[in-house]
Amino acid sequence: MTQVAGQEWLHLSPRMLLVHPVHEVLRQIPVLIGSLVLGSATGNPVWALIGVGLIVGYGLARWFTTAYRIGADEVQLRTGVLQRKVLSVPRNRIRSVSTDARLLHRVLGLTVLRVSTGQEAAGDTSFALDALPAREVPLLRATLLAESLASPASIDPAGAQGRVLARWQLSWLRYSPLTFTGLLMIAAALGVVSQTGVLAALRDSRAARAGTGLFETMGAVGSVVVGVVVILTASVALSVSQSLLTYANLELRRDADLLHLSNGLLRVRESTFDMRRLRGGSLREPLLVRIFGGARLDAVMTGVAGVGEASQLLPPCPRPIAESVLVDLIAEPDAVTGALTPHGPAATRRRWTRAMVLPAAVAGALTVVTATVGAPAWAWPVLGVLTLFSLFLAVDRSRSLGHRVGGGWLVARAGSLVRRRDCVSAAGIVGWTVRQTLMQRRAGVATVIAATAAGVKRYEVVDVPADIAWSMAATTSAWVGATDWARS
Amino acid sequence: MHLVEPTHLPSRKAPLVWAIGAAIPWLFVVVAQAVWFIADRRLIWLHVLAAVGTVVAMVVFVVVVPLWRYRVHRWDIDPTAVYTRSGWLTQERRIAPISRVQTVDTYRGPLDRLFGLANVTVTTASSAGAVRIVALDADVAERVVVQLTDIAALSAEDAT
Repeated sequence: MTQVAGQEWLHLSPRMLLVHPVHEVLRQIPVLIGSLVLGSATGNPVWALIGVGLIVGYGLARWFTTAYRIGADEVQLRTGVLQRKVLSVPRNRIRSVSTDARLLHRVLGLTVLRVSTGQEAAGDTSFALDALPAREVPLLRATLLAESLASPASIDPAGAQGRVLARWQLSWLRYSPLTFTGLLMIAAALGVVSQTGVLAALRDSRAARAGTGLFETMGAVGSVVVGVVVILTASVALSVSQSLLTYANLELRRDADLLHLSNGLLRVRESTFDMRRLRGGSLREPLLVRIFGGARLDAVMTGVAGVGEASQLLPPCPRPIAESVLVDLIAEPDAVTGALTPHGPAATRRRWTRAMVLPAAVAGALTVVTATVGAPAWAWPVLGVLTLFSLFLAVDRSRSLGHRVGGGWLVARAGSLVRRRDCVSAAGIVGWTVRQTLMQRRAGVATVIAATAAGVKRYEVVDVPADIAWSMAATTSAWVGATDWARS
Repeated sequence: MHLVEPTHLPSRKAPLVWAIGAAIPWLFVVVAQAVWFIADRRLIWLHVLAAVGTVVAMVVFVVVVPLWRYRVHRWDIDPTAVYTRSGWLTQERRIAPISRVQTVDTYRGPLDRLFGLANVTVTTASSAGAVRIVALDADVAERVVVQLTDIAALSAEDAT
């Protein structure tokens, strides 16, 4: 390991001399267009050449001005063409090391290496070595993590050890049409297209005229149906291919105290987590995934952001797989699959009132409108559908609500559209809050919030009976029951 | 099992300071309404409606809420934990073990300094776990900080 742990400043891979200019040109397209316009306006093509030259030169300069150093106590990254900036990270603060290789990087055999302490604020620059030769990465990763790990001997530079907990299967794709990713991508694409003015250009085109003709022959209902079918098909196709590209090859591997996650077909990402930072896990079941027996798994870990891709261990996959992986990670089967204590009639009543407020308000408004000016005929069936949906929500949310304490774990389940079961280790809980709104005080329930440094930082148990709120906290964290204020 | 309520009150001056703090933004509303009345005397009913609204809101936020908060706010420290009750419509009881405390800060705004008050914030490794003891007399706040830092220094656990 000595050859990387030197004191001298090292440059990134020289192959970045190819990548940087390409990236800079892509990033500076507005400037490039500006210089082209200036060139053609002044009749002097030298302007355009100067523009490209400056951008490429800047890209090249980035390589020469970027250097990193792996010292005995800290790793440093020196960047900046015009401003000098040195980013230092103490080595014993390194909590995770992840790698990422986009297509261009992979073609050139390069990998971006990111170091995270888990303490970064939102605006901080991340410590990213962009990029290193792929074959140097396993060794460097092991070197960087060795400081914060108890048993550096367990790290194999080849990185092929350990037990595979889960591996992506083609059948997991069946959950991906059921997400909104595709619809979001279509919306974003439409937004970009309308910004560039292509839509305005299309308005008078032959295609638009053909579309209008089609609309007239099919009628309004037919056009809407066709439009919905086209959008849904495109959305499903996009969701499936996006999920295939992101998660194919996914492999979750456990190697004693380390957890390795790698995924991606074209852009390959690998993360290594320190298991001693694991404080639990969350099973998330969006309704459309839950209907088909799926779930996704997130890690509750200190030093890793609680939301988004950073903490995701498994994408939507069959629920038994997600459950067995979580059991393997936290070694507490009861927390993952054990029966939950329901929250009682007051909590159920509150779920029903909340779900029924909207249909009741709409029904009231509709009655008034019908009595005064008259409502359209389709309004009532819509209200019927809304009421049915709200009924379902109320029943499902009441059934979901539950908790489990004891054995050193806090388990809370809630929600319907996005049901989640959070399992948090008592060792990770650094404070308790019992919160009651006016309505909750009247109903005799309270929300218990466990504060932790891991995951989303706060894990709520909604609407538990007020008289068991503190005993829940004390059963989970013994120190609560040992304070001067505890009474049996 | 349950926890008894914490016993210590905030400073006796707390309701006054909260009331002044709440009154200042409302004074701007009052001034704005006076200017509007002088500039434009049509629609007298609208002026009356706005004035009544302002008066009701001022009574609620300047009189009722500070007194209500003074009835709710309590705090206590024992050798192992710090415990507070706060809020008015929504009330919170929060407890954090001193062994997990990371920092103890005091904050004094301009009004706090005028009336000799201080607010103590006890942070833990969780952004959801900070315990705030607000509107203490400055000397009480100082004692609280000393007490908390002494206990926290004795325990050597990793605070995450």
